[in-house]
Amino acid sequence: MATFFGEVVAAPSRAGVDDEEEEAAGEQREETPEDREIRRELGKKREVHILWNSKLSASTGSFTDEQFPCSKFILAIGHNSVAFLSSFVLNSGCWEAVGSVKLWNEWCRTSNTRSVLPTDAFCLFYKLISDPTVLLCQCNCYVAEDQQFQWLEKVFGCMREEDLQVTILSTCPVTDYKTPESTLTLPSPFLKALKTKDFKETICCPLLEQPNIVQGLPAAVLSYCQVWQIPAVLYQCYTDVIKLDTVTIEAFKPVLSSKNLKSLVKDMSRSGEILKKLVTTNEIHNNIYT
Amino acid sequence: MAARYDRAITVFSPDGHLFQVEYAQEAVKKGSTAVGIRGLDIVVLGVERKSVAKLQEERTVRKICALDDHVCMAFAGLTADARIIINRARVECQSHKLTVEDPVTVEYITRYIASLKQRYTQSNGRRPFGISALIVGFDDDGSPRLYQTDPSGTYHSWKANVIGRNAKTVREFLEKNYTEEAIATDKEAIKLAIRALLEVVQSGGKNIELAIIRRNQPLQIFSAKDIESQVAEIEKEKEESEKKKKKSI
Repeated sequence: MATFFGEVVAAPSRAGVDDEEEEAAGEQREETPEDREIRRELGKKREVHILWNSKLSASTGSFTDEQFPCSKFILAIGHNSVAFLSSFVLNSGCWEAVGSVKLWNEWCRTSNTRSVLPTDAFCLFYKLISDPTVLLCQCNCYVAEDQQFQWLEKVFGCMREEDLQVTILSTCPVTDYKTPESTLTLPSPFLKALKTKDFKETICCPLLEQPNIVQGLPAAVLSYCQVWQIPAVLYQCYTDVIKLDTVTIEAFKPVLSSKNLKSLVKDMSRSGEILKKLVTTNEIHNNIYT
Repeated sequence: MAARYDRAITVFSPDGHLFQVEYAQEAVKKGSTAVGIRGLDIVVLGVERKSVAKLQEERTVRKICALDDHVCMAFAGLTADARIIINRARVECQSHKLTVEDPVTVEYITRYIASLKQRYTQSNGRRPFGISALIVGFDDDGSPRLYQTDPSGTYHSWKANVIGRNAKTVREFLEKNYTEEAIATDKEAIKLAIRALLEVVQSGGKNIELAIIRRNQPLQIFSAKDIESQVAEIEKEKEESEKKKKKSI
């Protein structure tokens, strides 16, 4: 029976109860122990685990119980943002790898044997040696929607959020950018920013206009920061190249002038060399276009 | 709105777009840069050489191809589509010569390629060719020609043009620097092509390939050494002009 709102509702029948139907319906309603076991195993498989290395525990005490102080959290999501931080930030200071996030979902592929990263870890955390309250995260994997809350809880749960400022870098295909102008004339790649109410610093690019929206982990982090009143800014680069690309990576350069990152970038002399190395080692020789 | 009108090639959208053709133009932007310059007695084609895999034979990755003794073409976009077009154009050049006993004019072969491309924008079950081409050469009367075609099947004659990635930047450079003096001699025209490419090509001369056709001469492809020496000359001139500017200030 269809209601006025178009939903289909099973109407009770005055013709009597059909035993077979009732049994089948009953089975569906009750979960067998087997179903529960499968659901539990699936849930366990999709759990997000954060592994901090022993150095961090030693330096800050047993911080699995305590939270460590964090003044700056810089998060790069996607391979172009990750490569940007590797070439321009990680190489111009002394950073120490302090942890990683392990997770599994349907988008995870088998590990790339040529990759420099540990084969099982997908998000890496680095701490600045000269200022241990600065934490950097390079997230190269896809965090599924059902895992984002866990990721946020576990990552932010380890940080003391007083005076915390968050900077997020991510990329998005330019075809998702909604604009009344023709997409053929868009000067991609270009940066757009979105910030929380508590973020008062100047931003280095125009704000993202409506009706554009941000999705995925960047949106989850920004929403978390908005709810918990943490100053945060997301710099999203709209690009027409899906693979690792120097032009897209260099489009993030204006971010280096932001207050959070300015103090971290001291020596950019080797950035070009590292960028070139990253792009060439990751290049899959694509002969489709010449 | 685009989502409902971009699947079939033969369907116009309500505001008159053929989305598949426009998407094919996006495929062209994925190819590396190619620039064409028409001089007085020379036509020049310069392309950004794509990096070749370590085990790949370099000479099989070519963006500049001869269509006939007096016509050659550079393309940007889908490699496989370019191969088909080049093969058809080469056959047409010879067929024309045998039938009419005259070599094709540059305009004729351009029109042939453009008509081929246009046919594929109008039949269902096929997609447009994802390449733009720069066709250069000399006609029988000795006049140099440069034409450009795109996936929609349009073609136009140009004094200088560029296709592929970063085309906008290079075109702006050419609009500023293509002058009578810049193409006065063959050498200057070649330099202009290299300077245009250096605007966007990373790591200089070793990623540039250059080909020229002079009147009544066959296609000549520059060696890497020649290109490096040209690039060195251009950089020297640039330094000297900067020194002069500083002195005058």
